[in-house]
Amino acid sequence: MENQTHVFVSGASGFIGRSLCLELAKRGFIVHALCRDVQHPYLTRHGNIRYFKGDMLDKDSLLVAMQGCEQAYHTAALAKMWCKNPDDFYQANVIGTRNVLETARTAGIRRLVYTSTCGVWGPTVKYPMSENDPRIGGFPIHYERTKHLAELEIRRFAGQGLPEVITVNPSRVFGEGPVTDSNTVGKMISGYLRGKWRLIPGSGEQVANYAYLDDVVQGHLAAMRSGKNGERYILGGEDISFNDFFARLSALSGHTHRLFRVPLPVIKAYSWFEWFKTKMTGLPPVFLPEFADRLSKDQKYSSRKAIRELGYHITPFSEGLKNTIEDLKKHQK
Amino acid sequence: MIRQTAMVTGASEGLGKSFAFELAGRGMNLVLVALPDTGLPDLSRFIRINFNVQVYVYETDLTVAKNCEAIFEGLSALGVSVDMLINNAGLGNWSWFADKPLSFYKTQIDLNITGTVLLTRLFLEQRQRPAKAYLLNVGSLGGQFVVPKKQVYGATKSFISYFTRSLQLELSGSGVQVTLLSPGGINTKPELLVLNHSLKGLSAASILEPETVAREAIRGLLKGRKEVVPGMLNRVMLLLDHLLPGGIKKLIIRQKLKVILKQHN
Repeated sequence: MENQTHVFVSGASGFIGRSLCLELAKRGFIVHALCRDVQHPYLTRHGNIRYFKGDMLDKDSLLVAMQGCEQAYHTAALAKMWCKNPDDFYQANVIGTRNVLETARTAGIRRLVYTSTCGVWGPTVKYPMSENDPRIGGFPIHYERTKHLAELEIRRFAGQGLPEVITVNPSRVFGEGPVTDSNTVGKMISGYLRGKWRLIPGSGEQVANYAYLDDVVQGHLAAMRSGKNGERYILGGEDISFNDFFARLSALSGHTHRLFRVPLPVIKAYSWFEWFKTKMTGLPPVFLPEFADRLSKDQKYSSRKAIRELGYHITPFSEGLKNTIEDLKKHQK
Repeated sequence: MIRQTAMVTGASEGLGKSFAFELAGRGMNLVLVALPDTGLPDLSRFIRINFNVQVYVYETDLTVAKNCEAIFEGLSALGVSVDMLINNAGLGNWSWFADKPLSFYKTQIDLNITGTVLLTRLFLEQRQRPAKAYLLNVGSLGGQFVVPKKQVYGATKSFISYFTRSLQLELSGSGVQVTLLSPGGINTKPELLVLNHSLKGLSAASILEPETVAREAIRGLLKGRKEVVPGMLNRVMLLLDHLLPGGIKKLIIRQKLKVILKQHN
């Protein structure tokens, strides 16, 4: 059976990584979890999880952590909106991925699942995007650009022997877990519950795809089990508009807050102000122009390939949202 | 209403792909041309479904003269005439003259110059030429600023610039609108993404997204502009270039060159 197989996981304190570690551990895998800080408060504790202090940019630390592993999940990434030094995105997401791939080969790992993002496609036109669809616009967002470049590294690598590499592309992930920098949906929900989130951008009709964390974790395991070498799989959920999102959030949480519609040009103007402030002072921005532009676009994705080939399952959005609200309420008290 | 048809060369990625989306968004049928195995069938299927326009695909090498002819012969056999030609396909480089093999320069010139000239000629002599036709040639701001490591590329773009301006004189009043697009840096291909990402300051700020360049270019073409320089900062730099005395420019370039040569050694 799968028991006692040693598995490497990078990004063990991340929103997806920590859940993935726990799920693997529960299934009897011995997890070699890489993190920069082994005392990190977000790390999950389980007898089958061994923490290795290390960094994607330090290949020696990667090799130590991968020793004896047959499989690897590379979930670590820099998924913030902004960094003081934009080169950090390139270092973490591209060089880091290259280091993980090369070290995995040295360590004799047989299969590797890489956590990418639907952000490599970005905005959509009319119908939900699927794996073979092209990207429509450029890459003004650092995170998306460097994840795209990382996918090019993966593609180059996938045709050259072991390890086999399977890419998964989660959409906007939400679920039970800490409200981290990259957990933007969690920020929105917890803000709403506390009465702090009060705005809907533009008409609120813009649609995004929301993937439930448990589904995404199971999707990772399924990709490891039955994903094809060199292929990528969208792991998404339902396409939901802002209006629908907050209507359901209000109904499920019992909290009703009046929301204000802010016209997109106002948001754009504000984002330029933030951009300028950040340029001048180096303080982190609340919001940036490239993200303001994105608010006018739909981001719809189809998980059909993963459902068909991996047996991927989508939890109804309301059910996932209900669980997330309960979890946040538990921790906010 | 009969839909108009636009041909875009080098359509599989970067600026060409953005032209395809921009024109499809305006409801034009498309003829997309690119090398085989560059994802053109997936792109065309996506555009057909999402924009509800006709898309014809030619996966072919434009450095071969008879391939250029075959495209127009094929379209003519289908009864399709081209209303708009976007000569976008081009091969760039950023390397010392000695660092690339002979074959590279041959291909670069065949594609950037010969391909553009042949397609333009074939476009203009279509049997059923539309009453109003549009031609956009993609040059480069680099065609106006002479810099090292762009020797052949910059020269091909200077060719495009002269070629386009001369055609504008020949074709004025003929119903053919001829426009030169002179873009600065664009975030296009993956390998350029790496290069551009390491730029700082003014050069970083002048880099544009391909969809912005495509939108400004098509707007300018339809408005009848002779030349389109996308991006405010690029227009300012061009103006400065015209205003600054030659001696000062030489000084600046020599300074820059010193830095580049230092990195090289």
